[in-house]
Amino acid sequence: MDKYIRNIYRGVYTVLVGMRVTIRQFFEPNVTHQYPYEHDFEKKRNVREIPKGYRGQLYNRIEDCIGCKKCELICPVDCITITGTKLPKGEQLWDSMNVVHLKDGREVIGIVDGDDKKIKSADSITLTNITSRQGSQEVIDRLEPSGVENRTQTFSGDEVSRVVTRNPVVFYLDQFDIDMSLCMYCGLCTEVCPTECLTMKDTLAGVEYSKFDRSDLIFKFDKQEMYNKGNTEEADAAD
Amino acid sequence: MQGGLERATGEKMVLSFGPQHPATHGTLRIVLELDGESVLKATPHAGYLHTGFEKLGEHLDYNQYIVVTDRMNYLSPLSNNFGYVLAVEQLLDIEVPKRCQYIRILMAELSRLADHLLWLGTAALDLGAFSVFLYSFREREKLYSIFEKTTGARLTTSYTRIGGVLRDLYAGCEEDVREFVNNFPKALKETHTLLTRNRIWMDRTKGVGSISADDAINYGLTGPCLRAAGVAHDIRKAEPYSSYDEVTFDVPVGTNGDAYDRYLVRMEEMIQSCGIVTQVLDNMPDGPVNVENNKITMPNKSDAYGHIEGLIHHFKVVMDGHGVETPKGEHYCATESPNGELGFYIVSDGSGTAYRIRIRPPSFLHFQALPHMLEGGMVSDTVAVLGSLNVIAGELDR
Ligand code: SF4
Ligand code: SF4
Repeated sequence: MDKYIRNIYRGVYTVLVGMRVTIRQFFEPNVTHQYPYEHDFEKKRNVREIPKGYRGQLYNRIEDCIGCKKCELICPVDCITITGTKLPKGEQLWDSMNVVHLKDGREVIGIVDGDDKKIKSADSITLTNITSRQGSQEVIDRLEPSGVENRTQTFSGDEVSRVVTRNPVVFYLDQFDIDMSLCMYCGLCTEVCPTECLTMKDTLAGVEYSKFDRSDLIFKFDKQEMYNKGNTEEADAAD
Repeated sequence: MQGGLERATGEKMVLSFGPQHPATHGTLRIVLELDGESVLKATPHAGYLHTGFEKLGEHLDYNQYIVVTDRMNYLSPLSNNFGYVLAVEQLLDIEVPKRCQYIRILMAELSRLADHLLWLGTAALDLGAFSVFLYSFREREKLYSIFEKTTGARLTTSYTRIGGVLRDLYAGCEEDVREFVNNFPKALKETHTLLTRNRIWMDRTKGVGSISADDAINYGLTGPCLRAAGVAHDIRKAEPYSSYDEVTFDVPVGTNGDAYDRYLVRMEEMIQSCGIVTQVLDNMPDGPVNVENNKITMPNKSDAYGHIEGLIHHFKVVMDGHGVETPKGEHYCATESPNGELGFYIVSDGSGTAYRIRIRPPSFLHFQALPHMLEGGMVSDTVAVLGSLNVIAGELDR
């Protein structure tokens, strides 16, 4: 009888000793992410770094897209849909403008003073009517009231890496949809894009963008308001 | 019908192994006819993961099809990419630059390591050795970070292109790979300690699923399974493709052709692959990674922006009827993938899309040899044999 009770006692005791390790875990911070309800991974510890050049979510900087449909053509699963409209002869959406690429990676859009064809690398450049953007994937909405104010800025010759002239737009995209639920991240479309406007995000946001509704995964990149508003305001600015 | 009758009398039992079974790694099925514990008859069934990859080749153009090859042997997609583009390049009769060949070999050997590591982990796990699984996955994870940085994706790499590769190695790739290769033999030693002289492991694998050299050749086994049977045949040595004739390595062979020998052969192959990787890194030439033929590869961006020809080519390469077009004819090209001979047979009608692409996957032929290895054995050996063959369902069914 004595032995029997001691056996029970020992059984319970050893389990408790083992449980101490488990119970200690109750007071540790959580490692598990309650996915999909918590998906703001940036705020969490133990997040893997996404390497540069990772093939994540597609992003189209639609301002640079020329609607050439090469990406639509190469896509093996046909998940890109593009429709464009050409304006009647003589009409254009905005006048030509310049993009100044700075050596620190920034790009500034505006109109260069003087003849933009004759700029030499050593010259300092004065830009009027500018908006600036950073990196290839930041959205620029140059039509926001703050973006179109007539600002002027001067850059010295060694700040600037190159100046590009953008021609007037005579073509606009009615639709540029990418169905990210079909996409298999092969990257063929980004490779063929002649203006390098279609890119893949290599950040956490480009990896984790899950949605509860499948239709939310159809990304629409066309910006109708850009064209409509851009028409008048850019024309004003050029006057 | 027959089987059902006999089952009713209690003499034989028909056991369906798979399609859903933890040890099948993918959906495949083996119907076993059992007498007690021993296997009287084994009938492998393929087709549970049919994906239509071969048919897709008939309407995807040559560059688009690379994406599909990732998904065949999903344990070593880089080897598949390599094998496929090599077949198309031989059909086009072009030679890629030396640096490109070396990069491809480097990636193919690293993916061989990754494939063998995964095989090692799962084969051991099926037989109950859990720590080996964790050890091999720890190493495999390092490789996958290298793949991720090089290609932009962990699994669906799509790294090669007709006439080149997607992009050059990233800065610091050499150090990463060297660090991995230098530490790897030490890590593999742990597994050797755990398994190689382990009584249980030896009992479960020695003499199990053995096949003689003649039978192995007759069944069309290739790769580690053939070499384990004692035939020193390796396509990298026998018909060197790309730059494999410039590296030295040994071809390990077994004697009995059983599961244990397949294990030993694969373990040694990993060490040999490390040697190849080191040689490739030491001799990595400089230069371009793509052929400079604008009819085949995309001109680089500065060319496209700076010259009208460049821009025209940049567009034409993508357009149907102006891009990569193979001459009329047919070609078979075999490469040594981690599992064995991976062949691509392309019939071209002279257009930008293949008329027919036929793939010779190693797993398909290994799978058909299963009855030979299983019949007469015990039912528990099925798991050991299937594990040792490394049948990959994606490649089996295409
Ligand atoms: S990355 Fe997606 S959208 Fe682009 S070609 Fe591949 S599948 Fe199509
Ligand atoms: S390839 Fe680039 S420029 Fe052409 S339509 Fe696609 S995103 Fe636009």
